[in-house]
Amino acid sequence: MRTRGWPVLIAPVALTAGILAFPAAFGTYPVKLLQEILIWGIFAMSLDLLMGHAGLVSFGHSAFFGAGGYVAALTLTRFPGVLSALVLPALAAGVVAWLIGILAIRVSGVYFIMLTLAFSQMFHAYAFQVAWLGAEDGLVGIPRAALLGLDTSRPWAFHAYVVTVAAAAALFLWRVTRSPFGHVLRGLHENEGRMEAIGYAVRRYKLLAFVLAGTLAGVAGALYAQFSGSITPDAFFWTTSGEALLMVVIGGVGTLGGAVLGAAVFILLQSLVSTYTERWMLILGVTFVLLVLVAPGGIVGMIRARVGRRG
Amino acid sequence: MDQGLSRRTFLMTASSALGAVGAARLGGLAATGLATGPWVRRASAQSAPLKIGLVLPYSGVYAELGNSITQAMELVFARENWTVAGRRIEMVKEDDEMKPPVGIRKTEKLIDSDKVDILTGPVHSGILLGMRDKVHNSRTILIVSNAGADAISRERCSKWIFRTSFSNWQPCQPMGGWVAKNVSKEVFQIAPNYQAGKDMMESFRETFHPVGGQIIGEDYPKLGETDYAPYLTKIRQSGAKAVFCFFSGTDAVNFVKQFDEFGLKQTVKLTGAGFLVEPDVLPAQGKAALGVISGHFYTPLLDNATNQKFVKAFREKFGGKMPDGFACQGYDTAEVIVRAVKAVNGNTQDKDKLVEALAATEFDSPRGRFRFDPKTHNVIQPYIYIREVREVGGTLNNVPIDKVADVRDPGTGCTLPA
Amino acid sequence: MPLLADLLAQALNGLAYGVLLFLLSVGLTLIFGMLDVINLAHGSFYMLGAYAGLTLIAATGSFWLAFALAPLVVGLIGVLVERALLRPLYRRPPLDQVLLTFGLIYLFEDLVKWLWGGRIRSIAAPALFAGSVRLGHVTVPSYRLFVIGFGLVMAVLLWALIERTHLGALIRAGVFDAEMAAGLGIDVGRVFTGVFALGAALGGLSGVVAGPIQSAYPSMGVSILIPALIVVVVGGLGSLKGSLVGSLLIGQAETFGKAWLPGVSMLMIYLVMALTVLLRPRGLFGQPLK
Repeated sequence: MRTRGWPVLIAPVALTAGILAFPAAFGTYPVKLLQEILIWGIFAMSLDLLMGHAGLVSFGHSAFFGAGGYVAALTLTRFPGVLSALVLPALAAGVVAWLIGILAIRVSGVYFIMLTLAFSQMFHAYAFQVAWLGAEDGLVGIPRAALLGLDTSRPWAFHAYVVTVAAAAALFLWRVTRSPFGHVLRGLHENEGRMEAIGYAVRRYKLLAFVLAGTLAGVAGALYAQFSGSITPDAFFWTTSGEALLMVVIGGVGTLGGAVLGAAVFILLQSLVSTYTERWMLILGVTFVLLVLVAPGGIVGMIRARVGRRG
Repeated sequence: MDQGLSRRTFLMTASSALGAVGAARLGGLAATGLATGPWVRRASAQSAPLKIGLVLPYSGVYAELGNSITQAMELVFARENWTVAGRRIEMVKEDDEMKPPVGIRKTEKLIDSDKVDILTGPVHSGILLGMRDKVHNSRTILIVSNAGADAISRERCSKWIFRTSFSNWQPCQPMGGWVAKNVSKEVFQIAPNYQAGKDMMESFRETFHPVGGQIIGEDYPKLGETDYAPYLTKIRQSGAKAVFCFFSGTDAVNFVKQFDEFGLKQTVKLTGAGFLVEPDVLPAQGKAALGVISGHFYTPLLDNATNQKFVKAFREKFGGKMPDGFACQGYDTAEVIVRAVKAVNGNTQDKDKLVEALAATEFDSPRGRFRFDPKTHNVIQPYIYIREVREVGGTLNNVPIDKVADVRDPGTGCTLPA
Repeated sequence: MPLLADLLAQALNGLAYGVLLFLLSVGLTLIFGMLDVINLAHGSFYMLGAYAGLTLIAATGSFWLAFALAPLVVGLIGVLVERALLRPLYRRPPLDQVLLTFGLIYLFEDLVKWLWGGRIRSIAAPALFAGSVRLGHVTVPSYRLFVIGFGLVMAVLLWALIERTHLGALIRAGVFDAEMAAGLGIDVGRVFTGVFALGAALGGLSGVVAGPIQSAYPSMGVSILIPALIVVVVGGLGSLKGSLVGSLLIGQAETFGKAWLPGVSMLMIYLVMALTVLLRPRGLFGQPLK
């Protein structure tokens, strides 16, 4: 199926330009919120690859987020540079995803949820206890380093850095979902038995999806560590996976863009609404429950239903 | 098909453009809703309001502390008619939810968006350590009104950071010698498994070992542990005659209650850092807390004139509520701000002068004579009181039974001005 | 102090905790067995039970009254949740139900904070069981002994309910094969609601039982959920026996872990969970997978 050519690119390019230019018009705090949305957006999008496309509901995605974050924290303080900021965390997360993946893909459904949950909790239990990872306090003082000539300690440079990585991640995932690989994944989601009968090495595809998603989650974690300057064992806790799950579902499972939208909704609720009412968690919970009940396609699903179904 | 494609393309482009505008709008709303904008700052510094930022927990288990600190600050500012050196005092409160990511985000908001003149807070040491670099690099004056991380008075000190509360070391170090002399030389230590807990246990040992004290056993349950039974059994079996511990909030309630439940109070004396039995947890602990000994720089029962006035005023203003150590911290924070700003005639633009004025501040506080240690910008505790929980007039209270004078943090590794 | 007394003391601690876990996880396992739903909001029922207990004690002045009524209150909430929120999702993939119950965690936790405040609230043990008892070298709080006794009695009662009553037969049929049961004319919808309510009530019961030991605070549901999930997985989803054995085992493992191997114990427990899923997914006593 041929893609539709350059008109499709106008929208995302315009959006990216807008996001890039955001600091020119707005103060530091809104910019920080935007960056946080982008970073969590990457995390949520990577989960969406697993959930929405491969149909693997994972409650252990935080294992990769945390792995990326901690590796970034450990290496950036000693060897500042792009290797420490992005490459090593991505590799580490990818390896962790591969190790967990080869075990996790043997099971499915509820058992997949339980197993992934167990693994991320293991990471949490470890990071929580050991001194070299800062135990309960985690690691602080993570610097913003000079990366390939860009000094990210300067606010605009850091913004450009985050936006670039987010855009790259989004582009990458978009291409993956549109590629033959993506089609196979969706086929697996719909009917695994049939795919296997046709001759697809189902496990290999699942594992690859798992590793790709995990690697990107690790990138998000590394960015997050640089964004907030610290990383705590909470990054590994199952509720972190849960929050990503919330974002994906709110935005719309399987829509990628929805994941970022969901991240925006969650973070804005948490930051802005919390200034006016303490009850932001209640609002979030109710919204989420309603969405699952009434609009399982999430926000994007609701928009699409208005505009007309995809052919 | 073609029509559908171009319609979809158009809609996608339009919607994302709208989305970008919408996001901008929302961002704009956010910006105006939250910040008063840079132009206010440029008005004459002398008449612009004095903005005090507060990063504290206003929700969750620790909201009690956030509220205590805030209320005491309001007490002082109200006494000054909310004006100092001709400038109106404005408090900007942000809930940090006791979570470092949230706390750091709110700190950045207060510094970058609200452009506060002076920042205060937080309760959580993790938040303090996380915000330290931002505060230091932006030359924002921070008056720590609770978090006790020793590092802020040691290797991570900063000329812009003052602390009116305590360093974790201060309430614990004098306890070591006192417990050895007055309770027992065989002590079991227990604290939650994080830096603050371990630091406190270590500072206790500083004065405990030299007088022949022996640590019979040590345990570090996880923060937020709800069932201490296995640890309590170990304590009993160790044969220790006393326990020295640090717990706060929910942990303090559960530990003290369970300690009593296991009948340990009959054979083992429970002692700890003051937070174990502060008024935020005493009501929930009830009679289980009777007889517990703790070290703290404050108790509402102190009989100096300033404290008696403070307790009376606080109770009048806040419906009979008794002030606690946290309230005293808030009081001192506000006093320090008022005095220093007066000393520089309201000129908070000249930060170096303001820092000098702050460092020189000295006054009578409910805890005694208040001074900063010029070496660390940490408060010098006029006294660390050894208190015992007793029933006083029908309610539980911390009665001072002894005291250690002039406790100042060693400040190892701090070289001010930094 | 003699090693035997040490072991006995810790074993009793582990038993009390294990029994609490049992009361909580048995509801979770029944709900899964029957409805194929992993009720992530089960911890919330635990929390609601503790707070309901707190309020009822304040209102009636009697621990025992609260003890009896709190589970009923939570059971009612369970009925509401099942009928209004879960029932519409039965035709959808089971994972949608999991997601919904996950959203409920946030909802309930904030609701509790709103109604009762974020502070920790103490729940007094009943006067009958205040204080402690000496058993040789070992001193145990009387209330914990009560918890052990009560829990074991509940285990027997539940067993009798499931294995020896008509209702139990319905439940077992539904757990085994819901479609078949419906085909036989059983009002499966009613049984579903009933089981969910029973599970919720048991969760609430464990909360009110735990109250005097752990007090009540808004995040208590989230903390206990993971141990409960581990028990259910290790014991076998849908199996009452599995829930009992699993919780007693995990109770001992966590207790001795805390006392002897603090760093490693939690990690080991998660490892056991992972190994179970990988090597014997049906757990100790669960049904062989369909």
